[in-house]
Amino acid sequence: MLRYQENNELHRNFHGSTDNAMRFVEKTCGMDALREVLRTTGRDVYKSIREKLARGDASELIEHLTWFYYRENAPFKLEVSENEIRFEVPACPAHVHMKKMGLEPTPFNCLQTEEVNAGMCEGTPWTSTVEHIGPDHCVQIFRKEPSK
Amino acid sequence: MIPSDHFVRFYNEVFKYLDRRGLLQAYFDDIGRYAASRNLEKFRKGGLQAVYDYYLVIRKEENCEMDMELRDGEYHQRMNKCPSLSKVLDNDASASPRYCLHCPGWTLPVYTAAGLYQVYNLKEPDQPHCESWLYDDPKRALARYRELLKTVPASQIRTNLPKALLEE
Repeated sequence: MLRYQENNELHRNFHGSTDNAMRFVEKTCGMDALREVLRTTGRDVYKSIREKLARGDASELIEHLTWFYYRENAPFKLEVSENEIRFEVPACPAHVHMKKMGLEPTPFNCLQTEEVNAGMCEGTPWTSTVEHIGPDHCVQIFRKEPSK
Repeated sequence: MIPSDHFVRFYNEVFKYLDRRGLLQAYFDDIGRYAASRNLEKFRKGGLQAVYDYYLVIRKEENCEMDMELRDGEYHQRMNKCPSLSKVLDNDASASPRYCLHCPGWTLPVYTAAGLYQVYNLKEPDQPHCESWLYDDPKRALARYRELLKTVPASQIRTNLPKALLEE
């Protein structure tokens, strides 16, 4: 079950605000600081997902990915096996919306996915990576250390 | 991707990080520039009506429980349940104690540039409600400011009225 139940109107312009916040932190404090803020967001805001991953339960992570990309009208492909979750997004809804707003995402915009996912996995048997297939197309991968 | 639904919880993390480094006000100024790039011309040309129209969209898209009234040269906005602070409080991460300051942080510079005068009652920063009044006539804004000062401490009020006018 999702910790944050969001099911009402969506304000997609917040993707522009996220990008602007990332630019500001990178410009004033540097790239390591930006990584830290994003990772902290993944670790602390998504504590519920992280604690379940630590117990070997990926259900909230899967629900989080599918529900929020569905809400953003984004097509995706989900593949789940015992030790791996692959979540492919052919057209990132954040990038698509920013372009509609006339904004170009920062070159490091995808760090939000990489670092937030890493924060969710911190201290758990899971690790995350992101394969970038195109500027708006990626596969988010979560792998669990096989049980011994 | 941080879902647009969860932006404000990321925003809160940014505020906490920047506040520890003394950069929060600089960030509010930056938000003001970003907001101006998207809204200033509309507000300059359309005045109070344009601000009212902007908040009609925001009220719907951001799920605000908010009363809005535009009448006789005054735009009055009463936020009964702020969706932004509500999400930040409904959060496994701690809330920035200065979270609410971002609103006047961006509106005051944008309204100043648009020739509008705001009087903003922040109320309690850990409760998701606030109230503001907006005018194109600085004398009416000053009257509202003085009226508000009778019941609310000055530290709870934000305004872009010129200092000289406030000290008259």
